[in-house]
Amino acid sequence: MSLRPILQARGLTTGYSEAPVLENLDITLGEGEVLCLIGHNGAGKSTLMKTLFGLHPAWEGVVELDGRPITGADPKALSRAGVAMVPEGRGIFPNLTVDEIFDLGLWAVGVPEGERGPRRDWVLGVLPMIGEFRHRRAGTLSGGQAQMVSIARALLGRPRILLMDEPSIGLAPKLFQDLLAPIRALQLQEGLSILLVEQNVREALKISDRAEVMKSGRMIWQGRPEELSDNRKLMELY
Amino acid sequence: MLWLQLTITGLQTGALYALTAVGFSLIFGTTRVFHFAHGAAFVLAAYVFYWADQAGLGIAVGVILAALAAMAFGVAMDRIVYAPIQRHEGSFFTVFVASFGVGIAVQNIVGMVFGRSFVTINTPLSNSVELMSGVYVAPLTWIAIFCVAVFFGALQLFLRRTHTGVALRALADSPELIRVFGLDPRRISAAAFALGSLLVVPGAVITALGSGLNPALGSHVMLISLAATIVGGIGSINGVLVAGFVLGLAENLSQIFVQSQWSEAVTFAILFLVILLKPAGLFGRIQAR
Repeated sequence: MSLRPILQARGLTTGYSEAPVLENLDITLGEGEVLCLIGHNGAGKSTLMKTLFGLHPAWEGVVELDGRPITGADPKALSRAGVAMVPEGRGIFPNLTVDEIFDLGLWAVGVPEGERGPRRDWVLGVLPMIGEFRHRRAGTLSGGQAQMVSIARALLGRPRILLMDEPSIGLAPKLFQDLLAPIRALQLQEGLSILLVEQNVREALKISDRAEVMKSGRMIWQGRPEELSDNRKLMELY
Repeated sequence: MLWLQLTITGLQTGALYALTAVGFSLIFGTTRVFHFAHGAAFVLAAYVFYWADQAGLGIAVGVILAALAAMAFGVAMDRIVYAPIQRHEGSFFTVFVASFGVGIAVQNIVGMVFGRSFVTINTPLSNSVELMSGVYVAPLTWIAIFCVAVFFGALQLFLRRTHTGVALRALADSPELIRVFGLDPRRISAAAFALGSLLVVPGAVITALGSGLNPALGSHVMLISLAATIVGGIGSINGVLVAGFVLGLAENLSQIFVQSQWSEAVTFAILFLVILLKPAGLFGRIQAR
């Protein structure tokens, strides 16, 4: 791969209780690329995302950010180092308003007081539809609106790396496309690196630069999205 | 005019119950820790205030020391007792037993230091003044009602206008998501314990100045807090405030019909009725988990 590795895991092994979910796994996210991670339920995709973001401990192996080891770093440290995560499900607090979620997000990543207004305006520029419901309680939002808020919150810290865990869950394909389009535009414009875990393979591949397929905690295939699309056997499986 | 006298006394009792119960509910609602030792925080604050008075430090210094003691106790419980249990994935029941044990230990230590009999602080604030024929009100009653208005108003502002307050509400929704945001749930949890424990101070001080103290008071406070939390609805601070007043008024007004020694039974009769008729509490919502 010609891109400079920005986030890398080598020999990663982890799991729950005594059962390993990831075994000796290697993954590299290049600077400015969208890497799509594909796999069935139970393949270990979400566990990988959580381990990369410090939400779940690594048993063995090394995680590096910009070539420096960050294994065991907590999400707070990673957030401040420019990594943000859009978690699986609705990454919102249902009893807070959208504005309160944004305030909390800005505070959490340490954006200085004077920059919070412009930063919020910038995110509302990326996803302008949020302006229509920003005063509403998040628990009253539709699935698409909630996912939009979750992504916008992750962008508030202007991260260099965005980890997105199945953002299409519960969304119609058209809605998912509409959601991804501005994110892809932003990624191309700002050189954002995105690790995207998806089960909606066809839509995810449209915005990806590279794809990897995961099965039972290991990578079993990697290549360009069009190579995966041409691989009938894999496409039938996923 | 007995009913009016009992209503006024009930409002004072209810104000103290309400604030103390709101403190417990805030801790439980945000951290899901059954902080049984909340009653011990009340006893500790009350006896620190009593000690400060006996040492001649004055009411203001006594209140500050009581507040510091209650907050330090709450935060210490979270850091030293609950955090290690939760780190080792101890169950809800383990946390409860640990909290219960600390509560009993504090009650006994206070008893060893200050004795087990009732102690009171003599103050003109507890001297009743005739409001109208047959109705007497002590300045402490107005202070109790003033305290509940100020503290509850300040709490609402804190929860809505400050980042820590909003984070506390977020913690109640999802501790896992708090971490995804890049926040430290342990620090927010410590804030919940500090704030919840601070809310026992008005009740502790006014009890020390009014009806008097004994080390076993913590258990009663805890039972009332628990009852108010369930009657009001878990997660509804407004509901718990109302429930605190309902229980305080019921406890006093019931004396029209039964002897005062049965007033605690009235509290729990209300609790059972609410559990039977409205299991989520008066202001609570049934949530899928």
